[in-house]
Amino acid sequence: MSELDPVHEALERLEWQDSKQEQTPQSRLAAVTRRTALTGGAAGMAALLLQACGGGSSNTTSQAQGSPASGVFGSSGKPKFVFVNHVTTNPFFVPTKYGADDACKLLGCTYQWTGSQNSNVNEMVNAMNTAVTGGADGIAVALVDNKAFNQPTDAALKAKIPVVAYNADAQGNSRLAYIGQDLFLSGQEMGKRISQLVPSGDVALFIATPGSANIQPRIDGAQDVLKKKSGITTHVIATGAAVPAELSTIDSYAVGHSSTKGMFAVDAGSTQSVAQTIQKHNLRSKGVKGGGYDLTPTTQKLLAGDQIDFTIDQQPYLQGFFPVVELYLYKASGTLSGIAEINTGLKFLDKNTVKPYNTTKTRYEGTSSQPGVNKA
Amino acid sequence: MSSTSPTGQAPTRAPASAGAQAEGRRRPSARELGMRFLTLREGSIIVVAILAALFFAIRVPTFWTHSNFITLLPYFAPFAILAAGEVMLMVAGEIDLSIGSVSLFAPFMFYEFNQAGLSLVPCLIAALLCSAVVGVINGFFTEIVGVSSFITTLAMLLGLGGLTLIISHAQPVAMPGADVTTKTIQVTHVVNGQQVTLPEKVNETGTFADIFGAGTYSELIWALVIVIGVQVLLFMTRWGTYTIAAGGNKLGAAEAGINVRATVIRNFIVCSVFAGFVGILEATRASTVTPDTAGASETMFRAVSAAVIGGTLLAGGEGTAIGALFGALFLGILRDGLTLEGVNADYLDFILGIAIIVAMVINVYVARIRKGSGRAA
Repeated sequence: MSELDPVHEALERLEWQDSKQEQTPQSRLAAVTRRTALTGGAAGMAALLLQACGGGSSNTTSQAQGSPASGVFGSSGKPKFVFVNHVTTNPFFVPTKYGADDACKLLGCTYQWTGSQNSNVNEMVNAMNTAVTGGADGIAVALVDNKAFNQPTDAALKAKIPVVAYNADAQGNSRLAYIGQDLFLSGQEMGKRISQLVPSGDVALFIATPGSANIQPRIDGAQDVLKKKSGITTHVIATGAAVPAELSTIDSYAVGHSSTKGMFAVDAGSTQSVAQTIQKHNLRSKGVKGGGYDLTPTTQKLLAGDQIDFTIDQQPYLQGFFPVVELYLYKASGTLSGIAEINTGLKFLDKNTVKPYNTTKTRYEGTSSQPGVNKA
Repeated sequence: MSSTSPTGQAPTRAPASAGAQAEGRRRPSARELGMRFLTLREGSIIVVAILAALFFAIRVPTFWTHSNFITLLPYFAPFAILAAGEVMLMVAGEIDLSIGSVSLFAPFMFYEFNQAGLSLVPCLIAALLCSAVVGVINGFFTEIVGVSSFITTLAMLLGLGGLTLIISHAQPVAMPGADVTTKTIQVTHVVNGQQVTLPEKVNETGTFADIFGAGTYSELIWALVIVIGVQVLLFMTRWGTYTIAAGGNKLGAAEAGINVRATVIRNFIVCSVFAGFVGILEATRASTVTPDTAGASETMFRAVSAAVIGGTLLAGGEGTAIGALFGALFLGILRDGLTLEGVNADYLDFILGIAIIVAMVINVYVARIRKGSGRAA
């Protein structure tokens, strides 16, 4: 902004002179054109918007300068979107919140992050109903239950509030779009990867909480592929929801089943625990393969240290960014556009591609609150 | 707001009242009625709940609307029922920590009975019987064996949560009878003076589901019925008198010939049955139930806080179900109001903590007027 300051000064002087004459539509247009020419379209549009608002308070000023979107899309007001989450304080969703935050800054809207701290579906339904009552401009919800959200979604849509799903999806829900990993497909891809790594033998598949709508389809997808491979025998083991329990479960499984050729997991905690177990018992020297989902700092470090073969990044940042963009466009276009299915997660990382994750701190992975990519 | 409430009424000891006394029973002034209201144990929390509602009504335009009233109901109604059961026990000087697990366990038993071929109402009765058995076990270990109720029910909280995971194979299930069916009906609109009939989709739930949780006012009605029932039971029946006596002075009550053991065990059963019932209501409302034991202790904690905020003593001997209802309502108003205001999850607990302290300071202040009532100050 600083190099534009002399320009602004000149503009102000010109407009001050203009203001002595009577204001006509032509003179106003001329002023806007001049501003546009000299400072770039955005500021000119913002000035136009400000004039339309009758000068505007300091609040609208900063909003208009911060977000050219209202000028681009011709929409006014500051839409408010509500994210309903199942584990609101879980570190996994920190990048998701940054994504929503960044999109809101870009588009000049606000978002609220609410729901349940511990997957309490009733609490999530309450939060969604409150969003409808409160007149939210759009709702993004993690559909972690196959049925419970059908009625709140219908109620929201009936109240003309668009609903998109993120992170977890449910069949039969009338949400407009899903932004997140295609869980079953990613499971199938993982299955293919496993069959390349382990041509034959016993394979253990770890899952934190079987039946959870946001992880069960992954293991179903993996098994769908692996069942067709005659040499591979799969064993599914539930590990529990808390990381310490997951680690001890996987540890004792590894000790008790020395014939296991590969250990793979479908959730963040179990994946980290697989890597830790392989490292602890030095299983790489016995040729055991490993892999899983998501990036915890430990998973990243051990993947770079070649203790496991891969992890799948489902890009939580995008799961916050795109819902805001879609909901905003849906509103700005008067329901004509904005809705699209987005698959955020088939990003396989190996020991080489994981390196930038370890050497940088960014909002995209939730490791830094600062914009841009910073050195770790 | 304490000492000089600007009612405009003459002070009670003013000379004018000398003449009034001659009239015999004089009508109480507004100020006296207010004081008498505050002498009720639940008086102060009712004031605090109303203040909280007014606060949000002024700040958030959508708070004071019919649709938000409906939204608000599930924020407090289930906890009011849980808290009413908890009041029964806390008045008797005991506590039940297992209610969170019972409310998780009951809907799974309901599901299992349904899978076994029972129809919905027998399933409900059977699931509530299972909850009652939990109460009997809690009561047995507390009253007959002599383990403190905190330990007994803590063990039950963990054990029953685990049992629920085992029974359910850690899989969420669809609640029987709570299916939502979508029906298309023809609705006639008048557009520009012309009648247009368009198909419109409406969601429907079964009668059983409507009565037990899924209906808009179902949970509220159950909460009111149960809270009033417990209030009557506590203050108008012998059972209630025994309960209060047992909580005030267990030994004294026993020596006065009250069967303390039987009374407390009965209260354990009531508390567990209410918890099981709430579990089924909530599962029916959401139409599914997930065996997530992480939420069980929080459910319990919210119910206990509602009871304590409502004026029930943790030490026993005093408590009211109406107070618990308003305690739950107060917590519900806070959660709903703050969510409506757009508070983010990370800040919610922080603000909730401050709000509870502020409200309880007001509560103590109002209670001080209550204790000083009768005096002009």
